[in-house]
Amino acid sequence: MRLDADIPFFFGPDAGLFGMYHAPAVPARRAILMCPPLGQDLIRCHRLYRQLAQALAEEGMAVLRFDYHGTGDSAGDSAEVDWERCISDATAAAAELRRRAGVDRIVAFGARLGGSVALSAARQARFSEVIAWDPVLDGDQYVARLDTMQAALREDTSRFLRPRNHSDVAEQWLGFDIGGTLRRQLAALRVGPADVPTLVLDSTPASTGSPWERIVSHRGKVATIAPPTAWEDLDRLESAILSHPLIQAVTGRLKEVA
Amino acid sequence: MMREEAHRFGRARHLVGIAGIPQGPSGETGVIVLNAGLVHRIGPFRLHVELTRQLNAAGYPTLRFDLSTLGDSAASGGQQTRTQAVCGDVDDAMKLLAERAGCERFILVGLCSGAQNAHVVAATDPRVSGAVFLDGYAYRTLGYKLRHYLPRLVDPARWVRRLMHRADGQPATPKVEAQPIFAVAPAPREEVIADFTGMVNRGMKLYLVYSGGISNYFNHARQFRECFGKVMNHPAVTTRYAAETDHTYILTGDRARLLDGIGGWLSQNFPPAVAGRHP
Repeated sequence: MRLDADIPFFFGPDAGLFGMYHAPAVPARRAILMCPPLGQDLIRCHRLYRQLAQALAEEGMAVLRFDYHGTGDSAGDSAEVDWERCISDATAAAAELRRRAGVDRIVAFGARLGGSVALSAARQARFSEVIAWDPVLDGDQYVARLDTMQAALREDTSRFLRPRNHSDVAEQWLGFDIGGTLRRQLAALRVGPADVPTLVLDSTPASTGSPWERIVSHRGKVATIAPPTAWEDLDRLESAILSHPLIQAVTGRLKEVA
Repeated sequence: MMREEAHRFGRARHLVGIAGIPQGPSGETGVIVLNAGLVHRIGPFRLHVELTRQLNAAGYPTLRFDLSTLGDSAASGGQQTRTQAVCGDVDDAMKLLAERAGCERFILVGLCSGAQNAHVVAATDPRVSGAVFLDGYAYRTLGYKLRHYLPRLVDPARWVRRLMHRADGQPATPKVEAQPIFAVAPAPREEVIADFTGMVNRGMKLYLVYSGGISNYFNHARQFRECFGKVMNHPAVTTRYAAETDHTYILTGDRARLLDGIGGWLSQNFPPAVAGRHP
């Protein structure tokens, strides 16, 4: 592996978006945009995103990782994260990837809310396919779960010597300030199918019913990944999420359609 | 006004970092933030992004970067111990900030393993003129044990629970093995004291902030002195015990207070207008 094959840079509006371009050793045959999740999931998935990007680049694919406005190394405060801006940032990142790779067809990959962004931005960003890993489809349920975890955090005596005041934990989700706009946007979020081939990688613990039905019924399929991923376990909030099966599933899918 | 630059740098071009360069004259003291554990350069809950941007606004050039094999950085490829690699990486970071902002002196900031790495470099590199150690080295002192165990010994409710367990014939709760303080062996206490003494004797300023999140080995402001002796009373050393907060500053109010504390300590000891001219 070339040590300097991964190129960090800023791009987009006011050069405020951070990107990491993984250039393949040979002219790219296809390009992959990796849409990150939000909040603590972004930090937990960083290592896995890098591993996946390098694995795909070694297969001759051009890969771009990036951070939305208000997240990661990109400009903006955490409280400024805005759902519509995430979608426009993903679109800007797709344009940047096309320019760098010289490839028009882009597959989007995303974990959790990153998968939701990829599905929601598919038309605008002209993705040819979406691979979504445990995407969040119903924002109101997700918001409720985050609120529950934040309330539990206040009383977490494995973290704090004594429970904190309600005001100490208000208007935050698991380490990050949240603005009223993002809360409203996520509470109203209901992700529909993208009008492109869609692969859902499911590692949610014991899914009930057919949660993915509405986004894969038309042009998609679901593949299960084991073991289940502990996305919403407060005790593992600061543990990295690593998954060799996920890397195998994504690289396998992309080699299959190459 | 400031700008952030993304860099791939280092002796093997193996490191990735973000330099924050304030507008204005060069030659100031630069602040370098090291990884906290395995979290990439943005820091726990984006702590390092918030810290570096706040310091940029106050006029300090900064660099948050990933050490070899962490975050987006690769291994340097050489046969080095971890300590040698850390020293080499921070040397690369100082050279980058010198090139980009004209810095000649540096402040290192580290949390947990980052504090340990900052300590290793600060103890040996004369370009380091200050350091912020967040939950760095500490030892369970006699004072710690008294503060920890005495309240338990005189707590009637605890004795009642214990006796009831015994009466029920239930086995006592299994003893939990103490977790190691660091992922690698901690340095001998005398060595750490000698390092701190050497640092202040050569003119370094130190800021130690320890949190309630490390209550398994640190539980009172007095413990700085109990651990490290009279060097903690040196005017170049500032200490703070933040009992209410956790190890990684998950609450934004706690983070803001930490950042204000670091900013205040910096402006007092390294005013931006004269930074870079310290001994």
